Amino acid sequence: MDAAGTNGESVGASGSAAEADGGVMLPQRPELLQTGFNPALSRVPAPDTICSTLDMTLDFVPSWTPRRIPLKCIGLTLPEGVEFLPPTPPKPELPAESRRAAAVKPAEEAAEGEPPKKKVTRLKPPPDALSLQDRLFYLLQPPLESWLAGQELIMPFEPFSYQYEGIAWLFSSQAALLADEMGLGKTMQTITAIRLLLRSGQARRILLICPKPLIPNWQREFKTWAEELPVVVMEGNGARRRMLWTMPGVPILIANYELMTRDLAEMSEDEQPKFDLLVLDEAQRIKNRESNTALTARAIKRRRSWALTGTPIENRPEELGALFEFMEVIPKGGSPDLRQLSRLAKKYILRRTKDLVMKDMPPRIDRDAELELTDAQESAYRIAEKEGVIQLNDLGDSITVQHVFELVLRLKQIANYDPLTGESAKLERLQADMEEIAASGGKAILFSQWTKTIDWLEPRLKEFNPLIYHGGVPTKQREPILAKFKQDPKAHILLMSYGTGAVGLNLQFAGYVFLFDRWWNPAIEDQAVNRAHRIGVKNPVIVTRFISKNTIEERIDRVLREKRELFEMVLGEGDNNNRALSLTASEIFGLFDLKARHKDGAARSIGPKPVPASGEAA
Amino acid sequence: MSGSAKTDQLRLGFMETIEVEGRGHIGGLLITNQNGRPLEFQCTTPVRPNRTQEILFGETLRPWLLGELIGSTLLDRVAIKPSLVVTSDPCLLELRNHTEVPIAVAESATGGRRSVSGGDAGECRKLQLGGSMLRFHEAHNGDIDSLQKQKHLIPDSADLQEPLERVREALAETVRTVFAR
Repeated sequence: MDAAGTNGESVGASGSAAEADGGVMLPQRPELLQTGFNPALSRVPAPDTICSTLDMTLDFVPSWTPRRIPLKCIGLTLPEGVEFLPPTPPKPELPAESRRAAAVKPAEEAAEGEPPKKKVTRLKPPPDALSLQDRLFYLLQPPLESWLAGQELIMPFEPFSYQYEGIAWLFSSQAALLADEMGLGKTMQTITAIRLLLRSGQARRILLICPKPLIPNWQREFKTWAEELPVVVMEGNGARRRMLWTMPGVPILIANYELMTRDLAEMSEDEQPKFDLLVLDEAQRIKNRESNTALTARAIKRRRSWALTGTPIENRPEELGALFEFMEVIPKGGSPDLRQLSRLAKKYILRRTKDLVMKDMPPRIDRDAELELTDAQESAYRIAEKEGVIQLNDLGDSITVQHVFELVLRLKQIANYDPLTGESAKLERLQADMEEIAASGGKAILFSQWTKTIDWLEPRLKEFNPLIYHGGVPTKQREPILAKFKQDPKAHILLMSYGTGAVGLNLQFAGYVFLFDRWWNPAIEDQAVNRAHRIGVKNPVIVTRFISKNTIEERIDRVLREKRELFEMVLGEGDNNNRALSLTASEIFGLFDLKARHKDGAARSIGPKPVPASGEAA
Repeated sequence: MSGSAKTDQLRLGFMETIEVEGRGHIGGLLITNQNGRPLEFQCTTPVRPNRTQEILFGETLRPWLLGELIGSTLLDRVAIKPSLVVTSDPCLLELRNHTEVPIAVAESATGGRRSVSGGDAGECRKLQLGGSMLRFHEAHNGDIDSLQKQKHLIPDSADLQEPLERVREALAETVRTVFAR
């Protein structure tokens, strides 16, 4: 067969080739079997085709089209602020924007190119704001600096950073006790926070209660810091006041404590006015929880309660309880212990001291003028003391603190001046100092406990053109007196009583303060001194305390020094000392060595024993 | 209270998104007046792309998620429609393709007073508004012209990046208060 032979040859040829290539020779040629099938392999295949439709249905087709996933939203609409008349356009020579810019410009210009990043004060949600909406409301407000610097809220002066913090804190607080040391601008911070509340629609009706002498001061400060806000002062006859209490559309109502107590007591429950915010200035006025003033203030319907005072504790830490009850952060009649008070204080009290925030403020220089009594004074004093002590001893166990108090007052008055001869070591020293002060064009404020002493001093200080400011001066005459003291270069001394002049007045142009006699409480003395030593003061303030040597004043001074140290301790952290901060009954007794004599000649001490924990305050 | 109706008023929108671990992205839109006072705030619930979306969208995932999905939802929901939406995230510029409201990325106007308002500044035009330089979507450069008329309503001292910080804080607060439960 050809095919087979060809196949056989080709295999043999390939075997020879393999050998020639050095490959492996097959041991034997393959044998091709005759099957009749081989020719079929050589034929060209003839495939046939048939038509068939493609099956388009597939078992699984992955498909995906982009679609918008529905998203849920949480929304918050912020209340619209109250629209007021815009502030008076700034004076052409000093546009408001420029004034503001002037305050911030030096820092901006200091660096070339990139302006320095200003510190910003953001509002924080109050700790008791639980709902998301409430919390977002605060977080979404602009920083105070840009808010107040915006076109809507022009500030006459750039506040200090601690003041921005105070404003932000007040704005976010339902209950707040702003207890900054006197002179740090509690009034300004309060007014600005009120302004923001009104502008942001958080409040529409605000009641501010303050001591009567301070009303003109508040009016003036409102005009300075928020002149666009309408302020109404509660005054006039009963019918007018009744109308004012409930008149709608009065954003800010200012009343004094006495009118608040009197007018609201006459209104029925249904007639009682409601306020979005109640501010108590000099809130220590309600420290006696059961007083009519405290009861009335607590009964006023309001949504927010702010208290302002530079002396949250005048006598005892427990006084804070009265303020916390007003702020509604403790139950009615609640008596938190010191640990609880400390916890509440951290949450609801903001207190900054000058040392802390006003490092650049000129210092207050305290100096004690220890004076020897004049001969006439000395004689009058010794007689009065001897007779007084004898009388007290004779009272035996029927003696009360009032008896001792009367003797103290009599002796203090003699230490001021001898009523018979008019001799006064303090006056001599005062006149000497005043000559120097007047010669340099300076101004001084003098404080005394008694209006009688002030009236006695006035004619004796004529050459310095003294002005009098005490409770006997009608309210309407007081503002002009302060204005004259500020403006009249010949008026070198202002004679004030602690009671009337110690709070709320801005007299930082006076470089000297005289404490002609000592008050019972260091906090009140500090308030008095801080009329002069406060923000805006450009020079050091020299405080002179007159102390008559070897008299009751020296003994009181010693006790007051200890009190001052205690005062600082209580307001500091971790304080757990609950001793009274003012003169206690036992301390007043302790000013004299009082002994009751027995018939057998033996003597024993009389009066209350010193109380180690807490005592009755004077 | 339709803001843009009055010519002396300008309503600004400030939009930001944050990523919440394990939950996805949430977005917030704050509407303010021209002085930065807040008028309305909306924020979304968290949204997380699934694996398919991650694969198919590829690099366009973030613009789609943040701009088209979250941004459009927020703009639809606000009752006060802004004249301009400012953001810090360039991905949100994608939103401009789905809305008529101009969208801009705020950048610090470094170099101080260089005014580029309306002029060519590189590839896309920029507009200085307040203390910030705004960069708009390349395909919508006409937005600058429409804003020129209202530009005077924004004080020079305005910081258009500051409200974005507020939005981020509000979103973080929302996450803490609501979604973290």
